[in-house]
Amino acid sequence: MHLLPKFDFYEAYDMGEACKVLAEMKSEGKIIAGGTDIMVNMKKGLLSPKCLISLARIPGLSGIEPTSGGIAIGSNLIVSKLLEFDLIRKKYNLLSKAASVLGSPLIRNRATIGGNIVTARPAADLPPPLMAMGARVVLKSKGKERELALDDFLVGPGQTKIKSTEILVSIIVDEPPPFTGGDYIKLMHRNALEIAIVAVAVQITLDGPDGSIKNARVILSSVAPKAIHAVSAEKVLIGEKPTEKLFKKAAALASTDCTPITDIRGGAQYRCAMVETLTHRALSAALRQIKGK
Amino acid sequence: MKRIITLNVNEKEYEVAVAPNRTLAQVLREDLNLLGTKIGCDMGDCGACTVILDDRPVNSCLVLAVQANERKITTIEGVADGPHLHPVQQAFVEHGAIQCGFCSPGMILSAKSLLEKNSKPTEYEIREALSGNLCRCTGYQKIVEAVKAASQTMKK
Repeated sequence: MHLLPKFDFYEAYDMGEACKVLAEMKSEGKIIAGGTDIMVNMKKGLLSPKCLISLARIPGLSGIEPTSGGIAIGSNLIVSKLLEFDLIRKKYNLLSKAASVLGSPLIRNRATIGGNIVTARPAADLPPPLMAMGARVVLKSKGKERELALDDFLVGPGQTKIKSTEILVSIIVDEPPPFTGGDYIKLMHRNALEIAIVAVAVQITLDGPDGSIKNARVILSSVAPKAIHAVSAEKVLIGEKPTEKLFKKAAALASTDCTPITDIRGGAQYRCAMVETLTHRALSAALRQIKGK
Repeated sequence: MKRIITLNVNEKEYEVAVAPNRTLAQVLREDLNLLGTKIGCDMGDCGACTVILDDRPVNSCLVLAVQANERKITTIEGVADGPHLHPVQQAFVEHGAIQCGFCSPGMILSAKSLLEKNSKPTEYEIREALSGNLCRCTGYQKIVEAVKAASQTMKK
């Protein structure tokens, strides 16, 4: 059995209290949401915070609120609940697709959307679709609040722009505009409890039913220190008509945008080849979604 | 420092003093003597420690006991109705879905929670619902057959 190191446990009942305690702890306090990542790291001896501050009893942190142009998702919302909202399945299906392949059903019943972002694992499932949808994160500290694009928030493996006094409270996602489609494809050795070998999230928006591509986001995951934009693929897509030829060209460019490593899950060369295949498939699926096929 | 928490386990209230660094799995086994909950990997990978926490199956090795304060927990000991096995347990016995038995409590709790939400699951839905519970003996086939059979009996 793996024993957890000793720590104090603080259960906050409102956000102000959580921020105050976190600030008082300096950098010795850590937030616990679902605990599926932090507890494993603590059991492995990689982390030993003096105090864990739980967000579980803070009201209003585990729901989805409408905003003027989309939704704000509470950071403490568990992944299985994310899958239960009709709104997410219908309008933000990219996100629900990624949520459905995260961990296992048991993990999804504890793991939270905020935790999946803050832990900043290079193969995390929720950041790629959220980046493809242009999501922003809201960070709160004692008396302060700031908003940051998820693109800028993630820095590298386990590293983000969050300060030791800040708590991620919500994730803001704009409603996909008309003529928008997307897809998330995760390549795995098995279908559960598995980390992606490569994952690709795509969202494209056309300027009309048969129009040109107005906006394109292509996100590659598990092939760089963090989820990244396939910048040259996005550049070649925008302004063009969505054709098979264009998608092939963009997919080939995407594989030049990544810098994968070789590890137990796959070789670097294989990962690059798979980036091309999955980007092509995801773009085609996104277009089919727009065309209603 | 230890805290006094209240756990509602199998519809019975327990008041226990626990240190914050003890998991729900440890407290169920060591303090409440409910040894049906197994600890396998202790890292959230194998599902042997599955319990139902507020209507959702979870890995109890990744829940702190203090996080379960005042919450409702069902362990394998709370599944049978006195001497009468739950239909899922009965089906596991009848279909040879139990070999060494180490994964069985977790499997049965995951299956029970699936059938409560979806009384007519497809084979794919059964396999997906059990995908966080590992079994090294059966090859899963007999477990899946048992859950299918249980869904038939429960409908009647």
